[in-house]
Amino acid sequence: MQQILTLQAKDGMTLAKDVMTSEGRVLCGKGTLLTAALIERFLKMDIVQVTVDGHPVSVPGEKSLQEELLEIEERFSEVKSVPPLMYLKKRLMKKLVDSQGG
Amino acid sequence: MEDARRQEFRTALRQTKNLPTLPGIVAKLSRMAEDPDTTTEQMGKVISQDYILAAKLLKLVNSAFYGFPQRISSISSAIILLGFNVVKSLIISASIFEVMEDQDVELWQHSLGCAVACNVIASRLGVKDPEEVSTAGLIHDIGKMAIKMELPEEYGMINRLMQERGVSMRQAELEVLGLDHAEAGGWLAKGWNLPAKLIEPVTCHHDPRKAHDAQLTSSIIHFGDIMIRALGYGHAGDNKVPMLSKRAWEFLNFSPEDIDEVLELVEEKLWDVKGFSLEVKADDSTHAGD
Repeated sequence: MQQILTLQAKDGMTLAKDVMTSEGRVLCGKGTLLTAALIERFLKMDIVQVTVDGHPVSVPGEKSLQEELLEIEERFSEVKSVPPLMYLKKRLMKKLVDSQGG
Repeated sequence: MEDARRQEFRTALRQTKNLPTLPGIVAKLSRMAEDPDTTTEQMGKVISQDYILAAKLLKLVNSAFYGFPQRISSISSAIILLGFNVVKSLIISASIFEVMEDQDVELWQHSLGCAVACNVIASRLGVKDPEEVSTAGLIHDIGKMAIKMELPEEYGMINRLMQERGVSMRQAELEVLGLDHAEAGGWLAKGWNLPAKLIEPVTCHHDPRKAHDAQLTSSIIHFGDIMIRALGYGHAGDNKVPMLSKRAWEFLNFSPEDIDEVLELVEEKLWDVKGFSLEVKADDSTHAGD
């Protein structure tokens, strides 16, 4: 998932988190498919950011998937003989690949 | 390392001239809690007198950081609903939040993330009052902050050693000072008069076998630290995932499914606490009094 500016939202994107009003009421639930009308309404209500599925907006200076995977390798470089930690590493890499691809 | 020098570092770290102290209210509340005649109202009153602290406490209680199911709007209902022990660790957290947030943002993020992970792991293990474990997670690296503030010259040497030889921060600390941040953090926690069950996990988070009474909490912090480093959240001096303590793993005894579910929850909570700060605006504090 990715947090983006409501201005960057496009119809067809799916909400990965509930959109809340400033009073903490759920305005629009997680899983909702965004439409132009809905985005317009968020903007009118001063909702500046939304969280959506996948990684639809590329941010300049952001690390690429490959760079992120290499960083994970590096972090785990001294514990390669520890099975539970290697399992943790495998899961982290899979989650990262899934989240960027989705 | 000659003993005299090591003693010198010890003294400097114990005196903590440059480090802020915790508000006196923490010690006062601890004393009150030990007195069986103290009532919830009396305790609530003492907390509410410090209205900024009270406002911060309520903000923390109602944040995604803890995620209590119901909204809590007053200090006395917080004490009734959560129990005094939880409120006390929340006060310690709220006070330390401020101290750490100002010192080192990256270390602060690592600590906050570790606190989140500890809360999830403790809940998974069915520990009573996971908030207490969370507070221990929040402060587990205060020794790093103490070394940076009290021994700036040696701190520079530690960083150079890490760069030149690629060793972990802890290894570099041991070589330069003859002691590590876990030991230094334990002294600081003691100096702040924190309860023993918070001091031990700080001192023993790299080796839970050394703990006498708090082996389980120390083991949770140990793995919380590993998880948050694995996720690359914040920065704790070096970027390496430390070796897993066998004893800690015996306590946790997590299956692959446990790891999956804990990881999922930790990531979700981290997402929710993103950008969380305890800064209170003037208008937040108006509802804090009881």
